Amino acid sequence: MNHHGEVDADAARTALSNRRAQCIGAVVWPSFLGACLASMLFFGSFDPQPLASELLGEDASRLAGYTLGFFFFWLISASASALTAYLLVTRPPPH
Amino acid sequence: MNPARKVAPPETASLYIAHQKVHPREVSGRFNTLRVAATLGLLGVFYLLPWARWDGRQAVLFDLPARQFHVLGLTFFPQDFFLLTWLLIIAALSLFFFTALAGRLWCGYACPQTVWTEAFVWMERLAEGNRQHRMRLDRSPWSASKLARKTAKQAMWIVFSLYTGFTFVGYFTPIHTLSQHVMDFSLGGWETFWCLFYGFATYGNAGYMREQVCKYMCPYARFQGAMFDRDTLIISYDTKRGDPRGSRARGVDPRAQGLGDCVDCTLCVQACPTGIDIRDGLQLECIACAACIDACDSVMDRLSYPRGLIRYTTQNAMDQRPSKVLRPRMMIYGALLGALVIGFAMSVAGRELVELDVLRDRNALYRQIDINTIENVYTIRLVNKDNREHQLELLAEGLPGLTVDTDTPWHTVGGTAALSVPVRIRVPANAVSGGKDIHITARSSDGRIEVRTKARFIAPATP
Repeated sequence: MNHHGEVDADAARTALSNRRAQCIGAVVWPSFLGACLASMLFFGSFDPQPLASELLGEDASRLAGYTLGFFFFWLISASASALTAYLLVTRPPPH
Repeated sequence: MNPARKVAPPETASLYIAHQKVHPREVSGRFNTLRVAATLGLLGVFYLLPWARWDGRQAVLFDLPARQFHVLGLTFFPQDFFLLTWLLIIAALSLFFFTALAGRLWCGYACPQTVWTEAFVWMERLAEGNRQHRMRLDRSPWSASKLARKTAKQAMWIVFSLYTGFTFVGYFTPIHTLSQHVMDFSLGGWETFWCLFYGFATYGNAGYMREQVCKYMCPYARFQGAMFDRDTLIISYDTKRGDPRGSRARGVDPRAQGLGDCVDCTLCVQACPTGIDIRDGLQLECIACAACIDACDSVMDRLSYPRGLIRYTTQNAMDQRPSKVLRPRMMIYGALLGALVIGFAMSVAGRELVELDVLRDRNALYRQIDINTIENVYTIRLVNKDNREHQLELLAEGLPGLTVDTDTPWHTVGGTAALSVPVRIRVPANAVSGGKDIHITARSSDGRIEVRTKARFIAPATP
C-alpha cells in the first residue's frame, strides 16, 4: 500500500473508533438515566435490605442493596439500548 | 471485515470525520458574566449545601441507609414517594415550558455537563494558558514544560473530581461522618466505590467528553426542537445584515465595498464550545451558551458597528414579524405547571405529621369477653414524620358504649420514628351485630395533631 493509502486507512481507523465511541455513548447514557429512574421507582417501594442480605449475606448494608439494584437495572437497560443500536447500525440500506 | 460496517447506511458517513479537540476561545461580555455567575452559583450550592445544618442535623440529606429524606425541616418517608414522582413531573414540565419560551437555557447555563465543563476548562486555562497556548502545547513534542503543565492540569482535575464524588456521596450519607471516615481512612467499601464512580464520571465527562456528550449522548438535545416554535428565543446570526462577509480596512464604509457587517474574523467559531459556525444557521449542536454573541459584540464594539449581528432573537423577529410571548403553547404549559406547583406545595404543607395504620388481629375476628361484651384486637402503627417526639393517645368512636383499652394511656413516639401499639376495642354485645365501621383517632398531648382513620369492628351476627 502506498503512503497515501496508509494515511487514509489510519484516518478511517481513528474515525471508526470515534464512531464506535459515539455509539457506546448513545447506549450508556440513556440507559443510565433509565436505570436511575427504575432504581428510584423500585426502591421507593421496596427496601433493599432483604435483597442485599439474600445476595451478599446477613451483614450486607442497605447501600450494597441500592448499588447492586442500580447496576442491575443499568445492565438490563443498557442491553436493550445496545440491541437497538445494533439493529440500527446493521440495518440494510434503503433501496 | 465486520459485515456490520459494510451495510452501514450512507447517511451516517458524516460521522466518520475524526473528532478533533475543541479549544474554546475565552470570551468576555454580558452573557459570559451571566454564565460564570450561574456556574459559580450552581457549583456553590452543590458543594456547600451538604454542609448546611438545620435543627442540629444535615439540612439536605437523602439518607438512603435510613430510608428517610431530610429537606430543611421536613422529613420524607417511603410513604411520601408520590411527592418525588410529582416533583419529577414538575421538573419535566418546567423544562418544556422554559424550552418553548427561551430555547436551550438549560443547556447553556444550568446543565451539569455545561457547568462542570466550564469549571474544567477554567482549570485547563489556568495550567495551559489561553486558546493559542493550548493548541500550540498540544501540537508541540513532549518537553519538561509540557509535562509540568499537563501534570498540573491533571492534578487539579483529579482532586476536583474526587472532591466532587465525595460531595455527591455526602448527599446520601451524613457528610460529617463521611469526612471523618475519609480523614482516618475508614471509609466503607460502597461509599468509596460511589465517591470514585461519581468522581470518574465527572472527570471523564467534563475533562474529555465535553461537547460530545451534548452531540452524541444527550436525548434532550435531539428532541428539544419539538418544543420550539417561531416565537422561541434562539441565538442567530443576522444573515441579511452580515452577508456578504469579508475583511475591510478600518473606517471604510462596507456598503460601498458591497460588504455586510460580518468581518469574517471567525471569533464566533473559535469561541464556540461545540465547535460549530453559528452563521450556518440554527444547529442541533448549538447549546445556546451565547459565547458567540459576546465574541461578536466585542468585534462590533471595536468597529463601532451596532451590537447584535449575532443575538438572541426569534424566528418571527428575524422575518420582521412580531414575536409573541403569550401564545397557546405557553399558556397551556404555564397553567399546567402552575397547577402542579400549587398542588405540590399544598400537599407538602398539608402533610399529616403522624400517620396511622390499623392492622386487625389475624388470629380471631372477635372475642366474646363475657355475655355482654365483644372485643376486637388491632395493632396500630404510629409513624411520626415530625422531627420532634410526640405523646399520642388513641380514641375511637362510631358505636354506642365503645371503649378503648391500651397498655398505657399515652404513647411516646420519637422524632421520625414508628411505634406499634396493641389496642383492644370493646363494645356492648347488644349494640352491634355483624361488621360495622368505626373511626380511630390519634391525638397529641398538645392537641395540635389529630389524625383519624377508618377501621372495621366485627361482631357475631345476631339472628
